[in-house]
Amino acid sequence: MEAGRSPNIEILSNADFLGLDGKAGDFTAKVRLRPRYIDADKCTACGLCTKYCPRHLVDEYNEGLALTRPIHIDYPQAVPATYFIDPDACMHLQHGTCKICVPVCRSKAIDFDQKAETRQINVGAVIMSPGFGRVPEEALTKYSYGDHPDVVTSLEFERLLNPSGPFMGEVRCISDKRHPKNIAFIQCVGSRDLGCNNGYCSSVCCMYAIKEAMVAKEHDPDCEITVYYMDMRTQGKDFDAARTRAEEQFGIKFVRAKVADVMPWERQLKLTYATMDGKHHFEGYDMVVLSVGLDSPADAKNLAKTGAFDLNHYDFCKTSTFAPLASSHDGVLVAGAFQGPKDIPESVTQSSAAAGLVSGLIKKQRGKGVVTKTYPDEQAVAEDDEVRIGVFVCHCGINIAGVVDVAKVANYAGEMEDVTYYAESLYSCSQDAQEVLKQRIKEHRLNRVVIAACSPRTHEPLFQETLKDAGLNRSLFEMVNIRDHCSWVHANEPAAATDKSMDLVRMGVAKARNIKPLPEQTVPVTTKALVLGGGIAGMTAALNMADQGFQTYIVEKNGQLGGQLLKQHYTLQGDKVADLVKDVTGKIKKNKLIEVFTDADLSAVNGFVGNFTSTITVGKKETSVDHGIIVVATGGKYHQPETVLGAKLPDSKAIVTQNELEKQLAGKGKTRAPKSAVMIQCAGSRGDDLAYCSKTCCNDAVKNALKIKEINSASQVVVLYREMRTYGYAEDAYREAREKGVIFIPYAKDQMPKIDKKGAKAEVSFHDPILLEDVTIAPDQVILSVGIVPEDTEDISKLLKIPINADRFFLEAHVKLRPVEMPVAGVYVCGLAHAPKPLDEIIVQAQAAAAKAAIPLVKGYVSVEPTVSNVDKDACIGCGLCESLCPYKAIQIHKIDKKRKAETIVASCKGCGICASHCPTFAISMGGFTDEQITAQIKAFGEMREE
Amino acid sequence: MSEEFNPKVLGFLCNWCCYAAADSAGVSRYQYPPNLRTIRVMCTGRLDPAFVLKGFAEGAAGIFTGG
Amino acid sequence: MAQAKNKGAGAVMVVGGGVAGVQAALDLTELGYYVYLVEKSAAIGGAMAQLDKTFPTNDCSL
Repeated sequence: MEAGRSPNIEILSNADFLGLDGKAGDFTAKVRLRPRYIDADKCTACGLCTKYCPRHLVDEYNEGLALTRPIHIDYPQAVPATYFIDPDACMHLQHGTCKICVPVCRSKAIDFDQKAETRQINVGAVIMSPGFGRVPEEALTKYSYGDHPDVVTSLEFERLLNPSGPFMGEVRCISDKRHPKNIAFIQCVGSRDLGCNNGYCSSVCCMYAIKEAMVAKEHDPDCEITVYYMDMRTQGKDFDAARTRAEEQFGIKFVRAKVADVMPWERQLKLTYATMDGKHHFEGYDMVVLSVGLDSPADAKNLAKTGAFDLNHYDFCKTSTFAPLASSHDGVLVAGAFQGPKDIPESVTQSSAAAGLVSGLIKKQRGKGVVTKTYPDEQAVAEDDEVRIGVFVCHCGINIAGVVDVAKVANYAGEMEDVTYYAESLYSCSQDAQEVLKQRIKEHRLNRVVIAACSPRTHEPLFQETLKDAGLNRSLFEMVNIRDHCSWVHANEPAAATDKSMDLVRMGVAKARNIKPLPEQTVPVTTKALVLGGGIAGMTAALNMADQGFQTYIVEKNGQLGGQLLKQHYTLQGDKVADLVKDVTGKIKKNKLIEVFTDADLSAVNGFVGNFTSTITVGKKETSVDHGIIVVATGGKYHQPETVLGAKLPDSKAIVTQNELEKQLAGKGKTRAPKSAVMIQCAGSRGDDLAYCSKTCCNDAVKNALKIKEINSASQVVVLYREMRTYGYAEDAYREAREKGVIFIPYAKDQMPKIDKKGAKAEVSFHDPILLEDVTIAPDQVILSVGIVPEDTEDISKLLKIPINADRFFLEAHVKLRPVEMPVAGVYVCGLAHAPKPLDEIIVQAQAAAAKAAIPLVKGYVSVEPTVSNVDKDACIGCGLCESLCPYKAIQIHKIDKKRKAETIVASCKGCGICASHCPTFAISMGGFTDEQITAQIKAFGEMREE
Repeated sequence: MSEEFNPKVLGFLCNWCCYAAADSAGVSRYQYPPNLRTIRVMCTGRLDPAFVLKGFAEGAAGIFTGG
Repeated sequence: MAQAKNKGAGAVMVVGGGVAGVQAALDLTELGYYVYLVEKSAAIGGAMAQLDKTFPTNDCSL
């Protein structure tokens, strides 16, 4: 994770948050730093100390399934990459003995004199993201967890699946190390369970259970896996498709049943469960996985007291629907699972959103605290300068040197042409090695540096930084990976590994010989934003952009702002939607930085990140605006289904949608609530007109059912559903609805209810799986829970060259880690245009999009990796092949002196090189990956040595 | 030909996926035969068919592209 | 990297160094703020560092 490298992030690990004084914009926080007993600047994370430490300790990182030592690091990629000593287990710290680690450490990093330190830190705002805690023990023990080793939690199972886990990625029973022949997953452990005061749904367990089951199947296709569930809540974008894949491709069984208990049974475990019809069954399993929920963090109450904010009744941070990330303490925001159980993309979205809100809150302080690094002037390296290569071969402690003969590799490099200097290095990434590297560059006037060590993906930036410090262009660098790709994977073949290292170094040096310095390119940015769509997503994004100080245009195709919100009346949480609309549109009107175009169309977009020029058409009038970024918030609308429950929908006035019902219920008439109603979930969705789940319809059904009951408690409401997906806190409302007498009856996909027209009424026939009978009722109203479809995404997709998925929603750049960015730089997405989601999630996503979109505007420029493409104008024949192939819209044909020539838009170029490999005249070269360099590498590959 | 068969394979690895995968194979200490020599590219889209031919001409027993 | 100097109100404190905290910290620096990332355990990463692969694409989590 890149957080470790930013000069503007100070990681205070092993630290406790102790106090918060002052007010928003001027807080003083108190933090205690517990000692690590290891000097972080000296520790090279070689791991020698752990090898020598004599005492065993249960490894919590591996969920207690493996052993480690009191002096250790949780996992090799940990940040900070510094070992630490667990004071509760260390023999020296507990008993004053041992201290074997002190002489063992070659870099003298161990320091038992370190003391706890308390710091007072002045900050403008605080973001709480402490994550989640573990569900109570009693939720697990009722399934024999703790009594039998083969009952494991899903987190433990996750570690079993992992190659760095206790059995090196093999799934084995903990009892006797045999491979399990069958595994059962039990869902909702510690969730939807009032027994342990966790009435909410944890929202992630269904997904991770499916994932773990699929991965387990990949490990052992013969292993039978059954998932016991109440409702499979795979409501997220494209999640249903993964569930179908699990069932159809992987052969994972899903059984809707309540598991009564799990008992040891000879070598196996006996699982007793009750199906819908009330029958009990039992089955033997080799292993049982408990899909544990997310609880509030163990120290939630303390954190709330320290930070002076409120918790909700489940001890998560209390927030509201319209300001989902604001805690009750002004200036203290919340993000991630502490706001409510959620998955990674939603956590990441909330984090960005919180960052954007903070950025608006303390706008005046922007840039005042940051550190900007300065570098010496760059030394010029001309074309015909003598090539002076320095090769540094790293031991990486014993990681490389334990397998590869490092001296032999270094000496071999020393004999190569143009290599002026070569050396071995114990840890080339350590602080002192960087200093040595700088000195050697100067002493030997090196103008190319080759480091044979680990992966450029993790360490190239570090060494390039050192090159810059030494006054060298950072492109004059090549890394050869003799650890991850060699010593670690050929641990038992030292001779072959040494051989391979020598070959790789030879190829690296051959490339280095052909490296040329590349200019650092930056592109200036127009610090204005364009938001497409004036619904709640667009308005929220625009307001946040304006709060952060940027002029923003909103383009709305209708006559007024508000979008779908204008059709809604109340939320499941009981908030009045009209209040929100009034509040937000009022703020937008007052904000001088926001300009609104209504009845408007975006008719043309030109340019690229930082420099867009768009044409906005209102009637016949065209306005041209310049802007740096685009937020796409074009929204969605209720689907009007033709096919419902696999059949054509009959035409009847008694059949309405949830939204129509909502309008009716929000009125004033005394008889506005139907005396009897049947709600049909997934009407038109999940296999009818639409393939996907719209995430919000179950909540809407519960919301309206409760409203009917509130108006007339004698009304009879039946909800026919496939799975009630009232995830998160909405589970409370679902429970309340059942308590108030709303009848929820599930139907199966192969046994769908039927809607018929009968006179003025509509009739619904369905199978009742509890009574095991077919039932027909003719209620006052049949209410369809219809899905949500995106609006006009195809047109926008063509206009902006951004992709849409099979369901016509926009497809984000990375589902997990970049959920609001589009693959085209400078374009962001939020709201229903991305996927169906409830109001609070839309607001958060819009705030996140605004935060991400503000980044290039804050910087004022877009910096470009030097690996972009470069067109030789003389050689270019203007054929346009590159323009048509570029997946990022990053190369365009222009007329220069009446001749067609390709030109790279460096700000959009990702360096993939498709243009270069297809150019018929070899006119395009890639920075750092030129034809000459790659050809030289291939040639060097061929120069096999004779032993 | 009593010598052990020991071919040299030349690989072109995409920085974002296959190179990253090879890194994590290392982190996980997966063991595989030491016959591969790799060239990192930013995307396998960078591959000019000429690179493949050149690789064979230089004596590669096989060419591996991972992207 | 230990800077003892106080960064004042141009700084933000992020409590919790899991994926949410780290993402917030990264975005804040890009938006022009200095960040103190407070984590109670010895390394940042939180629960995500324990995950093998992630749903629904089964990508690697690190």
